[in-house]
Amino acid sequence: MAQTSSFKQLSDYSWEIPQSYKPGMNVPAKIYATRKLLEAMDTGVIEQVTNVACLPGIVRQAYAMADAHWGYGFPIGGVAAFDIEDGIISPGGIGFDINCGMRLIRTNLTYSEVKPKIKELVDLIFKLVPAGVGVKGFLRVSEPQFDEIMKYGVKWCAENGQAWEDDPAHVEEGGYIKGADPSKVSRQARTRGIDQLGTLGSGNHYLEVQVVDPARYFDQELARHFGIVQDDQVLVMIHCGSRGFGHQIGSDYLRVFDGAMKRYGIQVKDRELACAPFASKEGKDYYGAMVCAANMAFTNRQIIVQRVREAFSRTFHREAEALDMHLIYDVCHNVAKVERHFYEGKSADVLVHRKGATRSFGPGHPDIPAPYRGIGQPVIIGGSMETGSYLLVGTQKAMEETFGSTAHGSGRTMSRTAARREVRGAELQRNMLDRGIYVKAATMDGLAEEAGMAYKDISEVVETMDRAGISKKVVALRPVGNIKG
Amino acid sequence: MTFRYLPDVALADVAFEAEAGSLGELFESCALALTDIMVDPATLKPAVARDISLESDDADRLLYDFLTELIIAKDVDSLLFREYSIETAPDGRSLRATARGEPIDRERHSLRNDVKAVTMHMFGIRHEGGKWMATVVLDI
Repeated sequence: MAQTSSFKQLSDYSWEIPQSYKPGMNVPAKIYATRKLLEAMDTGVIEQVTNVACLPGIVRQAYAMADAHWGYGFPIGGVAAFDIEDGIISPGGIGFDINCGMRLIRTNLTYSEVKPKIKELVDLIFKLVPAGVGVKGFLRVSEPQFDEIMKYGVKWCAENGQAWEDDPAHVEEGGYIKGADPSKVSRQARTRGIDQLGTLGSGNHYLEVQVVDPARYFDQELARHFGIVQDDQVLVMIHCGSRGFGHQIGSDYLRVFDGAMKRYGIQVKDRELACAPFASKEGKDYYGAMVCAANMAFTNRQIIVQRVREAFSRTFHREAEALDMHLIYDVCHNVAKVERHFYEGKSADVLVHRKGATRSFGPGHPDIPAPYRGIGQPVIIGGSMETGSYLLVGTQKAMEETFGSTAHGSGRTMSRTAARREVRGAELQRNMLDRGIYVKAATMDGLAEEAGMAYKDISEVVETMDRAGISKKVVALRPVGNIKG
Repeated sequence: MTFRYLPDVALADVAFEAEAGSLGELFESCALALTDIMVDPATLKPAVARDISLESDDADRLLYDFLTELIIAKDVDSLLFREYSIETAPDGRSLRATARGEPIDRERHSLRNDVKAVTMHMFGIRHEGGKWMATVVLDI
């Protein structure tokens, strides 16, 4: 439980931790939460967000979103922007799973059509999309092709028969972030990553068949922009990242930065906050490698979508195009990007770290693809496999308050070991089936660790971000089929 | 030689504390904890041996590199290990180890979590009261 007596309440949904809270804080910290969420937040979040506020070159505030929980270095659900000249870049502010993110595709099927075939469909996807410990992918690429993937992500997929024509435009950054430098990627990272394309991974990664929840269909007009047009419409959500490739890049550069900090006279409150000036050689090298992993992650999710389209097509005996299986959007939630923001009376480029946080650009922003530019960037918030997920849109207020950022999920309240003590995987699987959710899991222990009770109430998290004006609810999606890595 | 999980630390990940009478045994305890997180070790056979030699700047970083090496073997060669014999140099800056295990078999092995990386959150080796101890948080 967090001790909140020294916090300043800014509104019903936001709190400020003053700079006086801890020696060395360069800026205050800000937490988005109801009083209930704040008081339930683990102390690690407070410790970590205030440690982030001590980092060199941080501007304005360090943020923890309503889903924040104790991570390593940064809290998960953390956002921090740094001056690009005087500020730092930190692998711990991005996470090892670089560009872990969410992807949402629609179908024109309703639940009444899918329900009789849900087992067949989920079993087929489970067969087509490798999941779990140490799995290999099905797409074989050469070293030069892997370099192209690092540089061009989903654009490479579109040029090589692995994407539909309109897919790249529906991915954050148009399917690839510019600035990738494959020469800064180690041999070990390449070897770990090259045969993992199209794999889901494990932990909290999942692939879910979902249905529009008629009781929580908040804004039908906005939903229409995404091709969501009816109650009980079936969609597919994917949560995964850059696999061993990104993990190794994170590990490699954490070692580099751990050694480099002394040279730059930087001291941090947690070794996992190891960092280097963004403008330094180490900073530039890591950024170039990190972008390679981000583009690999976009590609990984894209390859998985191709398999999901195939599974639907085989199950429902119609082409995926006839099933209208277009990509709604793909968002990163573990990444750092150079973005132009207006703050403290000036417009400036800053390096925004989002670790377990989603970009939430408001209407009119030029980086939002044309079909959505008038309504704001789609924000995909994934919940636990029992409670469902949400689609929201970004807002102007997020641009003004949080460098265009919002929450990413529901956030854990219980550790993995504690969750495993509370429930057995097989029992959970049976209970979920009774409630209309068919689950296939690569591991029963892993399934138990992802039980809904291990997470915060996603509705309260989403409500907080909506009421705070940082993102706007469009529709809730309830799970009917789940593949747990 | 033993390890115990720290259930209240880093909720989305897995933290453990290891304890041993020597530095080599401490490394072994940490490696066994890593195995236990990825697979039920009782379902693994020590069928394949992998020799590992590493040098590093200090004992902390040697442990970081050693555990990372085992994670890489899981991804690159699909190998999981259940037995380790480890000799560390007196200065704690190098080691020679043999890890025994086998390639992943999804039918026979009771697999658990895919460990992504060793974090440096709370990471470190301590030598207290004649015992060697380490705290490790793994990213899941």
